[in-house]
Amino acid sequence: MKHVIVIGGGIAGMQCASELLRQGVAVTIIEKEQDLGGKIRNWHKLFPTFTPADEVLTAVRHKLKISSNLKVRTGCQATSITAKKVTLSTGEELKCDAAVIATGFTLFDAKIKEEYGYGIYDNVITSADLEQMFNEGNVRLAQGGTPRRVAILHCVGSRDEKVCQRHCSKVCCVTGVKQAIELKQLFPKADIFNFYMDIRMFGPGYEEMYREAQTAYNVHFVRGRISEVSPTFDNRLQIKAEDTLTGRPLKMGVDMLVLLIGMKANAHNTLLSKECQLQMQSSGFMQPKDSFLGNVTSNVGGVFYAGAVTAPKNVGESINEGTAAAHSVIEWLEKR
Amino acid sequence: MTFFAKFCIPFIVGVVVLFAVIAIKYLSWLRNLPKKDWKLIFSNIISWRTVAAAWEVVCESLLHRRIFKVNPRLGYMHMSLAFGWFLLIAVGWIETVAYMGFKWVPLQGHVFFKYFVPLNGITEHKPLFDFVMDLLLLFVLSGVGLAWFKRLRSRALGMKKTTKHVLFDRIALSALWFIFPLRLVAESITAAIYGGGSFLTGGIGILLSKSIGVEALSYTYEPAWWLYSTALGVFFIAMPFSRYMHIFTEIPLIFLRHYQLRPESKEKSYDNFELEACSRCGICIDPCQLQSQLGINDVQSVYFLRDRRYNMLQQKIANNCLMCGRCEQVCPVGINLNTLRLNSRSSMRNIPNEGRYNYLRNVDTSSGEGKVGYFAGCMTLLTPNTLRSMRQIFEAAHEQVWWADKEGGACCGRPLMLSGEVDSARKMIEHNKSLFVKHQIKTLVTSCPICLKVFREEYKLEGIEVLHHSEYILRLIQKGRLKINYQRGATFTYHDPCELGRGSGIYDEPRAVIKAVGELLEPAHNRKEAFCCGSSVANTAINDAQQLTIAGKVATELSETRAKTIVTACPLCKKAITRGTETQVVDLSEIVAQNLKQ
Repeated sequence: MKHVIVIGGGIAGMQCASELLRQGVAVTIIEKEQDLGGKIRNWHKLFPTFTPADEVLTAVRHKLKISSNLKVRTGCQATSITAKKVTLSTGEELKCDAAVIATGFTLFDAKIKEEYGYGIYDNVITSADLEQMFNEGNVRLAQGGTPRRVAILHCVGSRDEKVCQRHCSKVCCVTGVKQAIELKQLFPKADIFNFYMDIRMFGPGYEEMYREAQTAYNVHFVRGRISEVSPTFDNRLQIKAEDTLTGRPLKMGVDMLVLLIGMKANAHNTLLSKECQLQMQSSGFMQPKDSFLGNVTSNVGGVFYAGAVTAPKNVGESINEGTAAAHSVIEWLEKR
Repeated sequence: MTFFAKFCIPFIVGVVVLFAVIAIKYLSWLRNLPKKDWKLIFSNIISWRTVAAAWEVVCESLLHRRIFKVNPRLGYMHMSLAFGWFLLIAVGWIETVAYMGFKWVPLQGHVFFKYFVPLNGITEHKPLFDFVMDLLLLFVLSGVGLAWFKRLRSRALGMKKTTKHVLFDRIALSALWFIFPLRLVAESITAAIYGGGSFLTGGIGILLSKSIGVEALSYTYEPAWWLYSTALGVFFIAMPFSRYMHIFTEIPLIFLRHYQLRPESKEKSYDNFELEACSRCGICIDPCQLQSQLGINDVQSVYFLRDRRYNMLQQKIANNCLMCGRCEQVCPVGINLNTLRLNSRSSMRNIPNEGRYNYLRNVDTSSGEGKVGYFAGCMTLLTPNTLRSMRQIFEAAHEQVWWADKEGGACCGRPLMLSGEVDSARKMIEHNKSLFVKHQIKTLVTSCPICLKVFREEYKLEGIEVLHHSEYILRLIQKGRLKINYQRGATFTYHDPCELGRGSGIYDEPRAVIKAVGELLEPAHNRKEAFCCGSSVANTAINDAQQLTIAGKVATELSETRAKTIVTACPLCKKAITRGTETQVVDLSEIVAQNLKQ
């Protein structure tokens, strides 16, 4: 029986593993956390349908049937990956016939953009923090009370040369619209402002949701980035920005600032490119063999990719890539 | 004795051209000095400064003391050539005097004395002179040998990279390399035919006469002296157009510098003395992080000075510099490399827009009242942890503070200055200065070394003491106005910001503050040799990825100290280093504010 190692137990990795198992291949999943599931575990509802993230995760988990052919190793990372062998951070070496890298991405650390005051002012939170608040049903100000005015800032750690993140993280725009609607549903009287550079509604139903946010929910959209955040004497936040449509500088007092943090390539990718001769893009994400015909194939034979390890992707795309990678692995194993 | 032979012609032509060109250059530079500089010369020329300058000429132009300090092997090479050659000329002159008495002898008579008076035993002192001259020649030849060796293997002389030279340099260099070997050959052949010479020329002479024979040698006698004279002539003609102009130019430079002349934010005639005093030794290349960490090889000070001297300076070269001052620190001639680059930038792009800054009129967003003014600067406003910590420190010390720009204010002017827009910077400077005067502050504190430098150097704030926050905090601690909890087991490492350390000479104060909070672990390069964080506002040429590469290298060295926290005292350095490491990077004020005794 052939044996494939899937590195990363998020949605892409799990989907890939269940497809491989279905095709009669033995699979070992390597997961650095203590549990499978990945980032989706922290999300509340998924755009644009407001499907609970939990529902999607449960479905993917359900497909991954417990069998003697499936092994899961949690709490460890892969330090070297080839088609024949994967070395773990524990020093162990696992033999295999192919490997799939589905290690995903890292959330951008908002503290690096110190001017936005994350970690300094209590009511500056990230989009990930807000998802957690939604999950806990506890969206409120740090000092207690409900926000009357919230600013949502797009492109924090995306399209920003100053922090060496030139790429677009793709899903933040739509997340900002989704979270604005959710906030508005919670606090109908609150004013919600989105500060954006461009609104990129790339998926089906996204544009419609963006329009609905304006027509049905009266969410405000201001084209311009926030430059600085400072505290006011009454413990609110003052933001400075430029409204680039009117060409005027703008100051605004808000109760809460949500930073839509982008997707950063894993630091682990640099190690992979150095140790395993896998090609990496200048953005730090891994380089697939071909943008059209080899999206889940690496430049090294027998090593495949699935999900956001190669570029920012949404949940649906990541799950699809899990399937596609499994298919490519089978093709590769049959040729041997 | 006539003291003339045809072979002397190349030498004589060389000397005439050399001194004519030098005279023309120096006279025109001096004539164009601004009145202010002439006043300085007149007021200082009859003073101890002249004596001090003369002594420095001996130490530097002849002995090359500063190169010795940077690199002893390289120092020996330069000293053996300069001091050795000087002694050859001096002892040669004494020898002529000993033989001829005090009588006028033409220059070539001194230089080719062995040709004109080859015979041994003419004076009783001759063997002694021969011995001394041979010894000196050997001394110089050892330097030439090292120079040859340096071309082949620069690392052996402590240099990773050496200068790439222009055509005149190559001509002069080749001629210089051959002058002393050719002198050795000519004098040895003379000794072989006529006798005389000491252990070196005499010894080789005996070998030559035994192996080749005196008759065969006599055919080479005249050509050998022709070659020696030609090498000298070629060197002298190429010299004023090549890097060897430094041999003479360093002398007036040293005097003018002792008379307090300095380059300024706009180009002036004095700059020529600094430009042509550069020997293109290339010592400035190795410390340059653009070279060592980014592999950029054509922008270093040596190339900048060369390009500016030959009027072929391009903006992309002038702009590609961090102005970290690491090269200035090691320059053996002490050239003001940063200022020269700044005034070049000024000449290339100082296009003041009169209307652009009209909005500054009557703008005053300051708040609070007090004798102490605090100027955050734009970078501190972008690192609000520092601002918050400063507020806590002021409160703990019960200081009444006038906040200059908490709500945003005008730039200090330094970034414009660094980019060459000197006149626009003046508008910022005048605006801020008028605010400082209006609010009657006595002390101006800033947490940004970039602001600090321009406040101290360009604002001319009479009656207002300008302090970096590291100095201010240390004072508060020493006066007992701040009480700090010492954290046992807390380890810090410190990154010296360029504008604070090399730029303003502040090294000890931030260290003293850190030591009041916890243990300080020094990185491999610190103080004067500290690395630049790479994000300097002075460099508009490199991109963010290149800045990040430098930041990564700096952060690695800081992390190697195994300190838990990296401390710096510049908001720009903080932002830069944060990008390159996982270790926590904080401003000096943060560790103080976090550990205040309540």
